[in-house]
Amino acid sequence: MTNQTVIKVGSTATGFWGKLRTVLARRTEGRAVVLFAIIATVVTVSQPLVFTAYQVTLGRIALIGLVALGLTAVILMGELDLSVASTLAVSGVIAVTVANQTNMAIGVLAALAAGVLISLINAFFVAIIGINSFITTLGMLFALRGMAFVISDEAPVKLQNTDLGIAFGQPLLGPLTPRILIFFFIFIAIQIFVSRVKAGRELLAVGGNRQAAYDAGIPVKRRIFTGFIISGVVASIAGIINAVERTSADPTSGSTVLLASFAAAIIGGNYLKGGKGSIVGTLIGAASLGMLQVALTISGVQIPIQEIFIGGILLIAVITDPSSLRAVWGSISTTLQGIRNSLAK
Amino acid sequence: MAKETFTESMTVAKDPQDSKVTKPKTSVLGFIADKGIFFFTGILVLTAVLFVDGFASLQNVTDVFHRAAPIGIVALGMTFVVITGNYLDLSVVAQAAAAGVILIAVSNAFNLIIAFAVAFVVAIIFGLVNGIAVGYFKANAVIVTLATTYIGLGLLRLLSGGSQVFGPADGPIATFGTSKLGPFPFSALVLIAVTLVLTFVLTRTNFGFMIRSFGVNNSATRLAGTNTGLIVIGAFMVTSMAAMFAGFVLAAFSNTAVSNMATGFDFQALAAIIVGGTSVFGGKGSVPRTLLGVVFVSILSNVLVLAQVSYGFQQVAIGSLIVLAVTVDALGRRVSKK
Repeated sequence: MTNQTVIKVGSTATGFWGKLRTVLARRTEGRAVVLFAIIATVVTVSQPLVFTAYQVTLGRIALIGLVALGLTAVILMGELDLSVASTLAVSGVIAVTVANQTNMAIGVLAALAAGVLISLINAFFVAIIGINSFITTLGMLFALRGMAFVISDEAPVKLQNTDLGIAFGQPLLGPLTPRILIFFFIFIAIQIFVSRVKAGRELLAVGGNRQAAYDAGIPVKRRIFTGFIISGVVASIAGIINAVERTSADPTSGSTVLLASFAAAIIGGNYLKGGKGSIVGTLIGAASLGMLQVALTISGVQIPIQEIFIGGILLIAVITDPSSLRAVWGSISTTLQGIRNSLAK
Repeated sequence: MAKETFTESMTVAKDPQDSKVTKPKTSVLGFIADKGIFFFTGILVLTAVLFVDGFASLQNVTDVFHRAAPIGIVALGMTFVVITGNYLDLSVVAQAAAAGVILIAVSNAFNLIIAFAVAFVVAIIFGLVNGIAVGYFKANAVIVTLATTYIGLGLLRLLSGGSQVFGPADGPIATFGTSKLGPFPFSALVLIAVTLVLTFVLTRTNFGFMIRSFGVNNSATRLAGTNTGLIVIGAFMVTSMAAMFAGFVLAAFSNTAVSNMATGFDFQALAAIIVGGTSVFGGKGSVPRTLLGVVFVSILSNVLVLAQVSYGFQQVAIGSLIVLAVTVDALGRRVSKK
């Protein structure tokens, strides 16, 4: 027992600052926190209404964030689900169409079943056939948008039970509407799943190194199915909420959600190559974007300018990804080396 | 005795050479992925001629090519991006619309030359931003071009006020859009010209060779001393130029332009490229193949329109076509590797 060896994993830093540095180095939310701080400061100074009308802001954050939360589960595996936008549209249309003929509960179940079916198809092509998830879900994005048009007969479907829709928009618990409550419930559920449940931790392993995960006995294919089902079902729920709250389901909805939810997840520090990231990061990303959008809307900024803002933030987020910065630093240092060499001659 | 050793050494010497020369055994799926487009186009044309009313008229056939031209030109250019293994360029939707709106709006305000110049500069900016982000920052092409699509469309809608712009009824743009050379509309001639130029670039120039080499193995290409960032920028630049011409042709059709006129170009162009047999895994593909894919996809959508299939089902068909074509490609590869 005397010659017991201590294996230290990770950083060996000691003391308060050392420990803090270790904790910070492990987290991926850095950029999200910086952006959040900047936007929060600017908004507090210029448009304090965003905080006084916090119900509106929370509603917007829930709208953007819900799809982004599901998407994060897929991004952690190093895959991508572009079809969420169409899943949202199809689910909304199915929920309202079925609800009009029977009742709301069956409508919701039908829409969720559609969400599961869509994600099974996506995961089948990615895990079993082995096609890149970008291309698979891009094809599905297009096919499902068509499906939404077919089911809805190319026009928005009205929800006949308007009382339910109106009740759904009212505060349920304190000032919080059902949408916000569902959003926080799903956030907590996915957060616990990814950080505390074995299957959820395995998503990160699959994203980090697929071969190593396979060798370690993780059922990689089953985890890919798990991830896609999370993202599909969450997108479905978002579609149902949208349709019920607006008492109508629009087959063209979801195209702006695609951009905003990707932006939220990527700002949140989730590595697109997989293996690193957090649900909390996505929440911070969604909160920043939600505040920004509400502030811009209150200030009377036109929709095109808002799109430019969010597109710009997405572009900056994707090129300030640590791996991107490393890549560009690599090419800059190679170029400098080349110049130095030619000067030496 | 001596003869035996001689033949033996012959076979030994011949063996490695043989395995190099003979192509790897291809499966049925691999064959379909490679040559299938020729048969499917043939079958589709035959079916259309026999069973679809109103397909086999000169009017309809020229109409098909007329409509295929803008998407076709985009697809031909985007082939370069797909061959480098960067999936696709979603921002062609914004680029083509921008080129169209600029062509009509600026030529109304100033003249045609300035309009061409402005559109050219805009196309260069798009190509540079996409290319630098993907080539040097190694960012994901789908996300980057999704962002630039929204930035581009937002700027365009802001500057044009989101409204339709009209050219003068007897201007050079209107003349170009409606005139024909024999039975061929000018748009189809532009499509053919772009095919010839891009085929030459991809197969006969250093740049084209680099593009294909990068698609097959990007780290080997980099280690061989190529500036791979520039190659990716070049690929996006070709796409931007093609999208610009597509926008011109599209605007000339109706002598009008609006910011959402190119909606759906990204997917349809990708469908044409993949169906033509260019692999989304990179490295494999050619410009004439894309032209064939364009012919296939536009005949398919023409048949669907003539058969009065709803818009929704048409989208379902094209989306499924993308997934199906990639599946055949992926399965074919997997079998031929074994």
